[in-house]
Amino acid sequence: MTAATARIDLVLASRSRQRLAGAAAAAAVAAVAAWCLHDVVIADTDWSRIGGTLGFLAALQRFFRLDLGLATQLLEPALETFMMATLGTLLGCLFSLPIAWLGALNVTPSRFLAYPVARFMMVLSRSVHEIIWALLFVAAVGLGALPGILAVAMRSVGFISKITAEAIENIDPRPVEAMRAVGANRIQVMLYGIIPQILPVILGTIIFEWDINIRRSAVMGLVGAGGLGLVFFRQMAQFNYGGVTMVILAVLALIAVGETVSHYLRKAVT
Amino acid sequence: MAILEVRDLRVRYAKRGPEILRGVSFSLEAEDFCAVIGPSGAGKSTLIRCINRLVEPSGGEIILFGEDVLSVGHAGLRRLRRRIGMIFQEFNLVNRLSVMDNVLSGRLGYTGTVRSLFRAFPRADVERALTILDRVALSDHVDKRADELSGGQRQRVGIARALMQEPDLLLLDEPTSALDPKISRDVMALVRGLAREYRVPVLCNIHDVQLATEFCNRVIGLQDGVKKFDGSVAAMDRRRLDEIYALEVL
Repeated sequence: MTAATARIDLVLASRSRQRLAGAAAAAAVAAVAAWCLHDVVIADTDWSRIGGTLGFLAALQRFFRLDLGLATQLLEPALETFMMATLGTLLGCLFSLPIAWLGALNVTPSRFLAYPVARFMMVLSRSVHEIIWALLFVAAVGLGALPGILAVAMRSVGFISKITAEAIENIDPRPVEAMRAVGANRIQVMLYGIIPQILPVILGTIIFEWDINIRRSAVMGLVGAGGLGLVFFRQMAQFNYGGVTMVILAVLALIAVGETVSHYLRKAVT
Repeated sequence: MAILEVRDLRVRYAKRGPEILRGVSFSLEAEDFCAVIGPSGAGKSTLIRCINRLVEPSGGEIILFGEDVLSVGHAGLRRLRRRIGMIFQEFNLVNRLSVMDNVLSGRLGYTGTVRSLFRAFPRADVERALTILDRVALSDHVDKRADELSGGQRQRVGIARALMQEPDLLLLDEPTSALDPKISRDVMALVRGLAREYRVPVLCNIHDVQLATEFCNRVIGLQDGVKKFDGSVAAMDRRRLDEIYALEVL
């Protein structure tokens, strides 16, 4: 009887300790949030410029007076954005396949040289934002769609090559063994033993990346790399808020098309 | 004249690891259908993989078709490998390729890299593939994907792929372990028939002693990396069998 009571007390004590720890954690998060809120929002905002609720709403509604006249001028930049995404993705694939090859542990020619270099390139590609890549390429090759294509390609390499390398690492080794046994050379082993196994994953990843690259291409113009982003930038500079909304709607439409196409294509390849 | 001569073969996978094969010697004659039996872990798979160097031996000598297998370079090894057909326990097919592509892949050792990139095998290869697929009763499945087939059918694709190589030696690694007893017998009968038809010697790892005595003319008994028996099937009696399998804990 006493043993049972002691056990109940023990469980109850541990449960109240857990509650206390939970409450302490919540209080800590709240304190950090309050500190951030005070420093970056309350102290750092020009409250007089917002000018009350009415002023805020008036500023917002400028965006809802659509500039329908702009619609026809959006077609070509939209197409350019689309082409930038497509070419960038294809170029990215071209770079990705050798990098994936070097960066997959089971097939890499050298674990001590090629492998770390390939892994570093994967990380580099992803850790630099697409806008930064675009800035670099605008500086290197000038304004236009080309720096956008290069930026999109560089940004795509990381994801495509990482997923491909992982797919290569996870293949079934038995067909590879069979291909070595028939006397196939390294390239033939790759073509017959490995690529058929990873093809659905690669194609799915490329299509997914293409879908994402449409979004990326849409903002490339902000730094002078062509497409819808450039129109966005110009409308903003002219304070034509209705035109800005039109560009945003065009981007939405383009992304919706990309996502639909990507959905069905990916279904078809897997 | 022996087709294959193995002398004092030794294998260890890690530098300081245990020796998996501890000095195995035997030879294979042109008309042999030789079973390698022994408990799990005796080194049967390792032994058979040394002959086409899917596993690198750490010592010993292998003379195949009069060539020293362990001293040939890359190109020489590929030339040797294409003459050795191998049939695997789990078939080792490329699942996403068609039956035809799987069978044609047996010709890769004879095919240039560019041709193989486009899967453009010569007409004679396609013709040979169709003949062999007829012979193994798969002519209705030519365009199916390999993973659509049943186990027995998949193993027959594996056999067809090995025959595409025009092999001078067949290595079989537990060809029936993934199959049910009836299909196992069919597969062994098919291989024996084809080996006679194409006059190819066979070295066959097999777990099932019953099947070994039924289809092979010769038996090598392996136990813990050492050869314990080598002789005709007729000489293989109960007592020797018990000795070979004595270490197996059931």
